[in-house]
Amino acid sequence: MGDYTVFHLMPWSGAYAIYFFTIGISAALFFFSTRSWFPTGQALVPIRTSAAYVSFALLAISGLLLIGDLSQPMRFLNIMNPAYLNFASPLAWGGLNLISFGIASVLYIKALKQNDEKNAKFFGVIGSLLALGLPVYTGFDLTVHQNRPVWNTPLMPVLFVAMSLVSGSAVAAMLAKGKEAALAKLRWHMLWEGGAVGVMLIALLGTTAYGGSGSELTFILMTSGSLGLIFVGLGILLGTAAPIAVLLTSFGRQHAGILAAAGLLLVGGMALRYSILIGGQIVQTYF
Amino acid sequence: MLEMTRRTFLKISAGTTAAAVAVPKVLHAMENELGGKDFSPVTLAERLAIPTNCHVCNIQDGAIAFVENGRIVKLEGNPEHVSTRGRLCAKGNSGMWYTYDPDRILYPLKRVGARGEGKWKRISWDEALAEVAQKLDAAIKEDPNTICMKYGRNRSGGVIDRFMNTLGSATVINHTSVCESSKKIGMEPTWGPDIETPDFANAKYILNFGSNIMEAAYFHNPYSQRITEGVAENNAKLVTFDVRLSNTAGRSDEWIPVFPGTDGAVALAIGHVILRENLQDTDFIDTWCNVSTAELKAHYKQFTPEWASGLSGVPAETIERVAREFALTKPATTYTYRGPAKHLYGSYNEKATMMLSIMTGNVEKRGGYCMPRGMGWPQPQPEPPKPAHPSAMAHPHEYPLAGHKVSHLLPYFIAEGRQKINVHFSYQDNAVYTNPGAQAYWGKLYRDEKLIPYYVALTPFMGEEAALADLILPDCPYLERWEPESMPNSLWPWLGIRQPVIKSLGESRENRIMMRDIIWKMDPDGKRGMKQYWNFKDGEDYMRQHFDNVPGLKEAGGLDFLKKHGVWPIYGKLNPRTGKISDRTGREIVPEYGLHMKELSASDMTGTSVDGKGTIMKNGKAIGVRRNGKNYVGFPTGNRLINIRVDEWAKYGFNPMPTFKQIPWHKDMKDDEMVLTTYKINVHKQARTASVKWLAEIMHSNPVWMNTETGAKLGVKTGDLVRIESTVGHMVTKAYVFEGIHPKVVAIPTAFGHWEYGRLATLKLKEKEAGEFGATDDADLNNVWWEDKGVHPNAIIPTVVDPIGGSQGWYDTVVKVTKAGPNDKYGDVEGSWEKHLVAAKETMRYAYNGDLHRKMHPEMASWAGPASVKPGEGGGHH
Amino acid sequence: MSELRISSIETRGVPGKKRYAMVIDLRRCIGCMACQVACKAEFDVPLGVFRTWVPYKVVGKYPTVRKMFMPRLCNHCDDPPCVRSCPVEATYKVEDGGFVLQRYERCIGCKACMASCPYNARFMLPRHRSYTNITSVVDKCTFCHHRVSQGMVPACVQTCVGRSRIFGDLNDPGSEVSYLVNTLPTQVLRPEEGTKPHVFYIGADRNHTEIGRTIYDPSDVMNAERVMFEKNQRS
Ligand SMILES: Nc1nc2c(c(=O)[nH]1)N[C@H]1C(S)=C(S)[C@@H](COP(=O)(O)OP(=O)(O)OC[C@H]3O[C@@H](n4cnc5c(=O)[nH]c(N)nc54)[C@H](O)[C@@H]3O)O[C@H]1N2
Ligand SMILES: Nc1nc2c(c(=O)[nH]1)N[C@H]1C(S)=C(S)[C@@H](COP(=O)(O)OP(=O)(O)OC[C@H]3O[C@@H](n4cnc5c(=O)[nH]c(N)nc54)[C@H](O)[C@@H]3O)O[C@H]1N2
Ligand code: SF4
Ligand code: SF4
Ligand code: SF4
Ligand code: SF4
Ligand code: SF4
Ligand SMILES: [Mo]
Repeated sequence: MGDYTVFHLMPWSGAYAIYFFTIGISAALFFFSTRSWFPTGQALVPIRTSAAYVSFALLAISGLLLIGDLSQPMRFLNIMNPAYLNFASPLAWGGLNLISFGIASVLYIKALKQNDEKNAKFFGVIGSLLALGLPVYTGFDLTVHQNRPVWNTPLMPVLFVAMSLVSGSAVAAMLAKGKEAALAKLRWHMLWEGGAVGVMLIALLGTTAYGGSGSELTFILMTSGSLGLIFVGLGILLGTAAPIAVLLTSFGRQHAGILAAAGLLLVGGMALRYSILIGGQIVQTYF
Repeated sequence: MLEMTRRTFLKISAGTTAAAVAVPKVLHAMENELGGKDFSPVTLAERLAIPTNCHVCNIQDGAIAFVENGRIVKLEGNPEHVSTRGRLCAKGNSGMWYTYDPDRILYPLKRVGARGEGKWKRISWDEALAEVAQKLDAAIKEDPNTICMKYGRNRSGGVIDRFMNTLGSATVINHTSVCESSKKIGMEPTWGPDIETPDFANAKYILNFGSNIMEAAYFHNPYSQRITEGVAENNAKLVTFDVRLSNTAGRSDEWIPVFPGTDGAVALAIGHVILRENLQDTDFIDTWCNVSTAELKAHYKQFTPEWASGLSGVPAETIERVAREFALTKPATTYTYRGPAKHLYGSYNEKATMMLSIMTGNVEKRGGYCMPRGMGWPQPQPEPPKPAHPSAMAHPHEYPLAGHKVSHLLPYFIAEGRQKINVHFSYQDNAVYTNPGAQAYWGKLYRDEKLIPYYVALTPFMGEEAALADLILPDCPYLERWEPESMPNSLWPWLGIRQPVIKSLGESRENRIMMRDIIWKMDPDGKRGMKQYWNFKDGEDYMRQHFDNVPGLKEAGGLDFLKKHGVWPIYGKLNPRTGKISDRTGREIVPEYGLHMKELSASDMTGTSVDGKGTIMKNGKAIGVRRNGKNYVGFPTGNRLINIRVDEWAKYGFNPMPTFKQIPWHKDMKDDEMVLTTYKINVHKQARTASVKWLAEIMHSNPVWMNTETGAKLGVKTGDLVRIESTVGHMVTKAYVFEGIHPKVVAIPTAFGHWEYGRLATLKLKEKEAGEFGATDDADLNNVWWEDKGVHPNAIIPTVVDPIGGSQGWYDTVVKVTKAGPNDKYGDVEGSWEKHLVAAKETMRYAYNGDLHRKMHPEMASWAGPASVKPGEGGGHH
Repeated sequence: MSELRISSIETRGVPGKKRYAMVIDLRRCIGCMACQVACKAEFDVPLGVFRTWVPYKVVGKYPTVRKMFMPRLCNHCDDPPCVRSCPVEATYKVEDGGFVLQRYERCIGCKACMASCPYNARFMLPRHRSYTNITSVVDKCTFCHHRVSQGMVPACVQTCVGRSRIFGDLNDPGSEVSYLVNTLPTQVLRPEEGTKPHVFYIGADRNHTEIGRTIYDPSDVMNAERVMFEKNQRS
């Protein structure tokens, strides 16, 4: 409120957006790898292994990012201490989810390496459910803060699932290395999930623009203010609308076109996560 | 009277010392206690409480220091203190950082290299004392008055005077002329005391002229408590005249902006309306004043609201409305501090404002304008005699009425050779920063080894002044000193003590010890007769000599009582439900009013005579006044009356009656000219708090305030650089453009823009290591996040002397403000020694023997001129 | 009491329990900052972070201008979202008294509690401190639990020059805070967040407690300071 020398910083810095990004991709790649074991996912067989490995690598990176961002990294184990656990906190669930997903990933990769279809399918399905939990909890992590514009909408978990799938398919498309069937499947994914993200963004803009003074100010900042270029420019136009448009053209059916769209979607995915994370925090630093 | 509190009861009944380790259970109490105890939030152990007296600023509030593991961690107000009532201001709460300043000086330092170069050598006390003693001996041989002591805050209880008297020098210069002296001189001849003690808590109307009581003034903390009580609990209306929106103005019911220096005119016009509409207290005036109501009415006829409005810009209707409100709301009081006084004719302004409380008879009434109540203490015996010869510099002949001296003319006097200096001491005085001219003027003087051949700074800090010294002797900050204290900061008199809370750090020595050691060095065997005046073991021993024989206190336990309680007497207990001091019955204690109406006893009256005006004389001294057949003590003036007419002033060709003089150079200011004002803020104390981290964090820079209209005219927005130019120099700083200031005024607070005073004040935390002079580092300084230290304006403020009160006209500087040019850098400050000397000479033309004096006083045409008064006659009030 | 209780940890009006509260009478606040500094001293609070702070606002147009002060601190919410969001119960509520406190040794520093507090009442302790060795965990105002439990008022209340801050048990109908809350109109900050703040203001103008317009025009609020703070406080 006042013009005084006591200021407030945003609790969560941009580093969290990178975590959201990597964990989302990790989850989606795991899902794609698992799908390849099932009849409808036949097209994805070529990326089965690479997706699983990249997923695991990204999971490891995400874990390190998350721990590194704690001011007491050595205490990350506290989150697993049953005596401390607070089930009202999405973060607590998130921690458990992350760890169980990690275990499922290891078991899945082991089965995959042994080409043990039964176990791969089993751990794949378990892991996929846990993978789904990752973007869901990330979204929840934001949603539950009732005081934050942008974040505090039921859309968040769904939006994060969609963004996870879009970014995941974009990376998967890159892993597909010219395998036509896989690319076609992933193009389909990118198109529909990108579309879903687009629709949700419109809904998000609506609730933000009409959500009372704090939300309205956030809307201004995210559209025409300091975040405008990242959110609208990179996130919505270049990173969501443009790739969808490309995918709909004949170029977008070709190998190069799909890869171009995938690149744009990744840029968009990062920009959206960043601006949603930061956008929800700006206004309050002035309170 | 030891009341058994709930807690002592619990403690006793528990029978064990409560060394709490687990989270303690919440006690079931009605209201929690307001103070006196503190606990460590980490270990829950009770912190050791030692009562003392705050001296972060000069208001001297009773305090308690809390010590944990030998470290002072926390300060609070002494809840037994009648004035402070347990509270301290922001500065008082951070006083331990004087002690723990990582750049504090903890041993004697001798200059190596050129003056001001910043190269120092640690020497032993013995070497230091030998050097000083030798310099003093040489000076005394030539003329003791060549030893100059320049002090600022002096709460030593007489030690400094004892020191200078022992040396035989009268060249003792205080800092009062840059402080508030014209306020004092405006008041003293009129009613005696140099300050008023308004009963704010019980007032219904408070008319404040230029006091920023909610941030500074005498007495910020205790008075702010009472003003908020008056306003919130008693529905008092608070009206503030100021040139800018101080916090006080901003929290007043009404802020009335005035053009600088015109409060006197406004006050006279308010008086005019009161007298015109017959709203005065005729009875009070005719009984207690030396001018009758009829004479007063005739005199005030000239001061119409229209006239005042033309000068001040305050609408005539506002003046009339305020006059009626003030006169018709009872009780009411005026209050002033430096706003009206710090101008060329500041004494006249002060006088004009106090007249309002007098003419409405609000003097010494409940809720009104009361006299200060203080207490004294005896001096250790024997005392040295006064110096044989007066000093030409301590009481300049041009200013016979300036009873508080004219310290800021010192560079001029020294430069013109009025008084030769051999040894110069500074004590709690940073003229190089705080005086007009600052680095450009005082800095140049102190650097000049011909003008000041030997300079000793007595200080714990490397201030701008100390940085230019030849020798620094490390005094202790206030939490490590013994000092007697008393301040009239409420309506109840008290005696207090400042006692060391911890042992003094390093090799620092408190003032009385260090001065004693100098004298002992000069007169080791007592043969010179100096040592006899410094006959005490330590600070505590000295205090015993002050306190053990004060009547009343003696019976209560003397010094031991003060060591335990910090203050005497104790009027009651701090009531947790009201925050006020309650007596045994739970009622708020009530002060004594009507001090002037106290009747003289029969024994007082023996051997007296009563003159035609009713003044009761005894042994050639007025001791009271007879009114309506009763013998009252009256007011502490020469005739025991309120002197609306000050005859002494007329002797020097000044108007003895309430009057107003416009500042001549404000008359025809050009369109692009403005008045520069400077002020204090709530969280800083002049030169000395820029290195106190918690205060510096709240405020570390001082952009120049400017009205929105002015900003628009100049094309300046908040944050833009502006150049401010006066007759003696220029500076470049940032602008703060908003609604809270008179459009013809720009304002810059003091306490910022240091170029010395340690690494935090100068923001050179990375350039140098902490503890250069022996102190311990503070890890928290790694967290300093600000990079702006502000800009100090004093180098561009010229010397102006009130010809009556001798006070600096801080708020009279005319400046030109423009957008900064391509070569202007933030922080540029330039002033000229020559131009400052010219300004000093120019202002002396207004002195009673100067060529402009008569021109300014056409109404005194019948005055016989300066030759009609013998120099030295008159003399001010000391 | 007919107070609508939603969460089981609310203690307002629960018989036999205390519910401490602070009343801040803005008519009496003179912006002296004594509270802010007293709190720093009480807890050795490092530079750059505050358990309590006193922002101001200049309102009106020359010459009718006023200054409004608005002391702020943790509201010791009766239904605190910070407690809900902490994964390890490092922030918790003391039922008897209603204090919301920290377990420093347990805090992992995830800052979820900071994100969930609608009042910016929480902060991350920097690595450096003068003499207390609790660092790099989240901290906030404790309502001076260590003093209150010993029968003393909080440090900021103790020193409040304007006697603007009043502290006491709201469940005790005879306390001064009860008297003030029951007889005068009071306001709490952002009541729409459902946090049930237990810092009550007298004379707070909703126009000034809302998130301000200063956000779009940051130059007007000494933006240089903010930029400096953000730059140097991050690292
Ligand atoms: N926080 C704090 N408190 C202090 C001090 C400190 O440094 N810091 N110092 C102590 C000392 S030594 C002193 S002398 C006192 C001084 O206390 P005050 O006199 O209350 O404070 P100043 O800031 O010197 O000046 C008071 C006001 O005068 C205004 N002013 C300037 N020109 C005019 C004018 O022509 N008319 C009117 N009406 N107002 C005008 C200024 O804007 C300012 O708000 O404070 C004491 N208390
Ligand atoms: N621009 C501007 N200038 C002003 C004012 C203003 O409002 N604006 N106000 C004026 C007023 S009212 C006054 S009274 C003067 C005050 O001016 P000064 O008398 O100079 O007083 P301070 O700034 O309080 O402190 C001066 C020095 O005392 C030393 N010191 C601090 N603590 C101790 C200690 O414990 N022991 C010893 N021995 N020394 C110590 C430090 O070196 C410090 O630099 O400033 C005046 N200057
Ligand atoms: S006003 Fe503040 S700094 Fe000055 S004596 Fe009182 S408490 Fe100490
Ligand atoms: S104000 Fe913030 S930190 Fe305090 S209890 Fe409420 S939510 Fe928690
Ligand atoms: S930062 Fe500490 S107190 Fe806050 S939510 Fe995380 S673990 Fe809990
Ligand atoms: S209650 Fe205690 S911790 Fe909270 S702001 Fe006040 S002094 Fe600081
Ligand atoms: S101490 Fe009291 S009056 Fe001063 S700023 Fe704090 S709340 Fe306001
Ligand atoms: Mo002063």
